[in-house]
Amino acid sequence: MIKDITQKPLLELKKLTISYRSRSQTRPVLRNVDLSLHRGEILGLIGESGAGKSTVGNAIIGLLAPEFVQTSGSILFEGRALEGMDEQERDALRSRRIAAIFQDHTMSLDPLMSIGAQLTEAIRAACPDLSGKQTRGRAIELLTRVGIESPSERYHSYPHQLSGGQRQRVVIAIALSGTPDIIVADEPTSALDATIQKQILQLLRELVAETGVSIILVTHDMGVISEIADTVVVMRDGNVVEHGSTATLLDHPVEPYTRDLLAAVPRLRISSGKRTDPTFAVVNNASADDEEPAKRAAILVVSGVTKAFGRTSFGWSRKPRKPALQDISLELKPGAITGIVGESGSGKSTIGRIIAGLETACEGEIVIDGTRVDVASRRQPGGMLGRVQMIFQDPAMSLNPRLPIGDTLAESVRFGSAPSTDARLAISVIMDRLGLPMTFLTRYPHQLSGGQKQRVCIARALLAKPRIIVADEPTSALDVSVQAEIVELLGQAVSQEGISMLFISHDLALVQALCSSIYIFQNGSVVDGGSPEFIFGRSTNAYTRCLIDARPERFTI
Amino acid sequence: MSTDFIETLRRRMPTGSIPFSKALLGTYILVALAAPIIAPQNPYDLLQIRGWEASAAPGTMGGDGYIYWLGTDGLGRDIVSTILYGLRISLLVSIVSTAIAAVVGVTAGVVAAYFGGWVDALVMRIVDLQLSLPTILVALIAIVTLGPGIDRIILAIIIVQWATYGRVTRAVALSEIGKSYLDAVRLLRLPKKRILLRHVMPNSIAPALTLIPIELGHAIALEATLSFLGLGVPIDKPSLGSTVAAGFQYLMTGQYWISLFPGLALLGLIAAINFVGEDTRSKLDPRSRSL
Repeated sequence: MIKDITQKPLLELKKLTISYRSRSQTRPVLRNVDLSLHRGEILGLIGESGAGKSTVGNAIIGLLAPEFVQTSGSILFEGRALEGMDEQERDALRSRRIAAIFQDHTMSLDPLMSIGAQLTEAIRAACPDLSGKQTRGRAIELLTRVGIESPSERYHSYPHQLSGGQRQRVVIAIALSGTPDIIVADEPTSALDATIQKQILQLLRELVAETGVSIILVTHDMGVISEIADTVVVMRDGNVVEHGSTATLLDHPVEPYTRDLLAAVPRLRISSGKRTDPTFAVVNNASADDEEPAKRAAILVVSGVTKAFGRTSFGWSRKPRKPALQDISLELKPGAITGIVGESGSGKSTIGRIIAGLETACEGEIVIDGTRVDVASRRQPGGMLGRVQMIFQDPAMSLNPRLPIGDTLAESVRFGSAPSTDARLAISVIMDRLGLPMTFLTRYPHQLSGGQKQRVCIARALLAKPRIIVADEPTSALDVSVQAEIVELLGQAVSQEGISMLFISHDLALVQALCSSIYIFQNGSVVDGGSPEFIFGRSTNAYTRCLIDARPERFTI
Repeated sequence: MSTDFIETLRRRMPTGSIPFSKALLGTYILVALAAPIIAPQNPYDLLQIRGWEASAAPGTMGGDGYIYWLGTDGLGRDIVSTILYGLRISLLVSIVSTAIAAVVGVTAGVVAAYFGGWVDALVMRIVDLQLSLPTILVALIAIVTLGPGIDRIILAIIIVQWATYGRVTRAVALSEIGKSYLDAVRLLRLPKKRILLRHVMPNSIAPALTLIPIELGHAIALEATLSFLGLGVPIDKPSLGSTVAAGFQYLMTGQYWISLFPGLALLGLIAAINFVGEDTRSKLDPRSRSL
């Protein structure tokens, strides 16, 4: 990555201000954003949701919705203002020299076109002079370049026949088809598993070194920034907060906001078993008392659970399905937090839902508090249904959008069998403990932020007086700073309410900070398990090591 | 240029006609409600009908000095009064049947989606069967089986229309049931009725609501069609459709007014309902709402 600072920047934003204009109001979404991008540079644009980072990316590639208007400032490409060009010239520039990669690899390819056809379409648009054979040759060349194995066979594959990582590689190949100068990558790895993310980032870095392309990387993930960005721009509420080289900014952040943002990123400790991370100090205090529960009988014992999802309608497809879970056994000690870690498709959510009683296991048994439970016995009066509560991944979907918060919570209290006179009291106690103002009771879910909604979900789970809470990726839809708060609340809830928790996550650092024992899931099986000290210090399991290695080094202690 | 012009025209046309349609629909409803007061004659009251003044041309002066502005029909009934009273029947039939069809369809859709399995299969196969046959055929089969009468017509229209609501609601309910707030509710051991009424239905009802105005127009047209075919409301309680039908035989002899004026009234009503309905639908539909 040779970068000549004395060279004129390839792309510059000068005091760029973009406003959202509706009939009733005009509201700025970007205020005086300055940034410059040199040839061969990877510029990371980081911020939490609503920071305006994607708006910057869309303004550069020209994909702003019509409601967004550039009110002042300018975008300069090689010293020429984009606003000054006529429409045709600007479109040509954007289609040839600026390319884009989007987050969702399932959406950015046409499901009805083979990847070869999509790639040649892009190549033809960029270089219309090539013959059919040359176009195809170029397509194969690009597929090879982005690391697709046996490209001439894959050329005829359809998007659904590829894995997520492969699809994102194809998207990158399409972006490269016009030999662009700039690639705007909006969260290119956020929908991918950590191990795949690592490979894709590696690929992007190679491409920069080889072709001298510049990348604007829009992301919310400090880990991604620390892995590949040369320079970082930190954004908040449409303003640039801080700007500098990645190393300087990560090690010596100047602005308090940047410092908070960095501090909120959970760090993985692999050096020793000592817990020194100040972020999760409260949680750690709670789990420090875990010596004792280890000797007590488990509150939850799962043994030999197997689950295969049902046949397709009318038994039309007789293809035997790969079971989602195979012979899963695990246990949870009272008052403890047990972590389940795995990548997408590992079955970690399915086991959570089976334990809660939302799905039925095909084989095996689940024993809660010494009683074997199945669907029928759970439903009986006094049965276990609801004694396991869940907290879900996406708070936006976890609350009935048409019920005020108070009504949602009241339903839970009633289930928790508090007399109705105590309902208000119970709710207000919990709301207070979770830092939710009482005025929220009359609000609707859409009036709350993601973090607030997730607090309401925690309140709902606690009010039902569960024995066990299954938290299924409770923070992965939230910003990092909010994630820290939610994790702290979950830790407190466990220690104060005397419940046990199963914490399902893909984030090793989070699980390490919170859990007293951990199970590693891969393809529906438990491949490794033990205390955090064992998993992160001594485990020799290849998959566990692979997961640990996929973590950005910067955030590993 | 020309496509721009057409596009502009297309966008302008409905917006201009909506206030007019609303006013027209309002007038229709008012007039229908006030029919017994403002109608010069009660066409249901045989004593008021003068058989000897049958098939009088528009503008003919009757025996008592009353002018038949739109003429009389073959039985001597004043066309103005017939239209006013017919309007009542048309509106009554369509509103009642659409309302009941919506309730039945939404309930069926939600129940099918929530319970799944054979309940879902059964409900949806009936829906498929019905939607695969032409509307008028289903209505005819229903009427022939049920027999004549206003209540039977309403029933027939409900049978025709519930399937659409059912299908639309089931699709939405299925996607709502996949959301985690319903998982959370299922963990609270609430009675099924409460889960359905308080959680699933309110969140799945929006697309069905947007269908109502459109289906209302269909119901009026269907009732008119059935009446025109002679299977609708009985002859002594004429609706707009049956009046058009009754006048049909007189068209050959040049007595156009018996069919024409009730027909025009019907046309205006259906057009007004469709315009207003389309407007309401687009306002209710969150997808067509701008940010």
